[in-house]
Amino acid sequence: MTLKNQKMIYKVILMICLTMLACMYIYPVFLMFMNSFKPFGEIIANVLAFPSKLDLSNYIYVFNKMKYLRLFRNNVIITVIGIVGIIIFSSMAAYILDRRRGKYSSVAYALIITPMLIPFQTIMLTLLKSMNTLHLSGSKIGLGVQYWGFGIPMATFIFYNFMKTIPIEIDESAKIDGASTFTIYIKIIFPLLKSVTVTVIVLDVMWIWNDFLLPLLMVNTSNETKTLVLAAYTFIGQMNTKWNYALTAMVMAIVPSIIIFILLQKYIVEGVVAGAVKG
Amino acid sequence: MIQRQKKIVETMVFSIPAIILVSLTIYIPFLMSSYYSLTEWNGISKQAVFIGFRNFTALLQGKKEFLTSLWFTTKYTIGYVILSNLIALLLAVALTKRFRLANFFRGIFFVPYIMSMTIVGFIWKFIFTSGFEKLFEFTGWQLWNYSWLGSSHLVFYSVVFVGVWQSLGFYIVLYIAGLQAIPKDVLEAATVDGASSWQKFSRVTLPLLGPSFTTCIFMALTNGLKVFDIILALTKGGPGTASNSVTLQIYKEAFTNNNYGLGSAESIIYFLFVLILTQVVLSAFRRKEVDL
Repeated sequence: MTLKNQKMIYKVILMICLTMLACMYIYPVFLMFMNSFKPFGEIIANVLAFPSKLDLSNYIYVFNKMKYLRLFRNNVIITVIGIVGIIIFSSMAAYILDRRRGKYSSVAYALIITPMLIPFQTIMLTLLKSMNTLHLSGSKIGLGVQYWGFGIPMATFIFYNFMKTIPIEIDESAKIDGASTFTIYIKIIFPLLKSVTVTVIVLDVMWIWNDFLLPLLMVNTSNETKTLVLAAYTFIGQMNTKWNYALTAMVMAIVPSIIIFILLQKYIVEGVVAGAVKG
Repeated sequence: MIQRQKKIVETMVFSIPAIILVSLTIYIPFLMSSYYSLTEWNGISKQAVFIGFRNFTALLQGKKEFLTSLWFTTKYTIGYVILSNLIALLLAVALTKRFRLANFFRGIFFVPYIMSMTIVGFIWKFIFTSGFEKLFEFTGWQLWNYSWLGSSHLVFYSVVFVGVWQSLGFYIVLYIAGLQAIPKDVLEAATVDGASSWQKFSRVTLPLLGPSFTTCIFMALTNGLKVFDIILALTKGGPGTASNSVTLQIYKEAFTNNNYGLGSAESIIYFLFVLILTQVVLSAFRRKEVDL
């Protein structure tokens, strides 16, 4: 009985500590949200106080000034192009390289996954030059295509490891029924890859949606092509100490991710864990 | 024979697109970097002047900025790896206890991880300046009154803190996954043998968490070495060069100073540094893992 009581007390103390910690942890985010509703004067007067009234004028100003809808659309376009290409090319390569083992396949596989060891910053200077030559810089589609190259190594690695768990007998029986390699891939293998495809999508959406450095190098020259985070970066830089607008821009830059996280929390956490363990 | 050729063609058709894309975005720029690291080039003129290894000798002997930034990145990475793993492990242990809000708390700690690192840097810039000022007014604690971003001593701690804050949730979920994968019967067997809670944790749980340690420390290592966005938004490498990471240094060398050749040399040294460090750490951990 006393042991049980003691355990209860421990648990309550743990709960209290965790609650306090969680509140402190998220407080900066909360503070940002709260202050984004205040006019400039109120922020300066007291950062910690609640807004005196619900005022959306910061949002209206930033929404129009940043051309938010266009930025949002740019982000969606770039992310979708990136993801679709990564999934198609990686799963195709992983499928064939696992099924046709041999000298060519092992060299090809090594070629595809080795870039995971090369940090992006090593190549960023010359990447800009080579992408200028290929006319892939300065456009949304070009940026999306570049993500194919950067996403393929990790995605192929994850798909390849999963391919090993799909028995080859499945392919063989389909082949006897007269299916071509391509049909087997589309109709049988790709549907079986569903769970890892979700993992790859989660990891790559989080990466591409929030990526900063590659868009900074590639699409920073024109307002037409900027991504959400990039435009927020520029905008906040211009606002400097006008915290009311800067904070609103910050909120608007992260709100899409937060909404998606709340809706898909389970998939996101599972995907991130799976990706880390497999990667 | 025709069958065989058809198979080879098929294999290539399926895998060549991936190889071409990876080559265009990674291998070719990498080879170009290696070449330009041996030249003097401002990024604009058509001709880069070949100067052999002079960039490398200049970086390793003369130019202080680069070595300072390399040292900062090393310090940052050490601090980041240790703190994020230690705190994440503690919180993961607490959050795997059964209580109602456990899932909600996991969500809370994960929120900063899904936000853009650039924005995280800005949020904390706001907190460190405006937020702390008000907290000092309220509490009078000296802690809030230090210039966390303005002093070249303190800025290191601020940057590490924000880095850990942003990604802690990621390591927490990894450790939670590891803790949940530990078979219950092993822990029960230890209880039957009369092990105390601490003994169970230190003698059973920790050794069996080996794979999680390897994953988390490796991830933290690579993320720490890549730090860029947070610092750019928070301090731009300042005050002076007090929080200048290698990645930031490479960026500035090329785009601010227009020394593409020197910048390329810096990026090659950085590449070798990362490669050696990650391989050494990885092999050290692989050897220590306990198999079940």
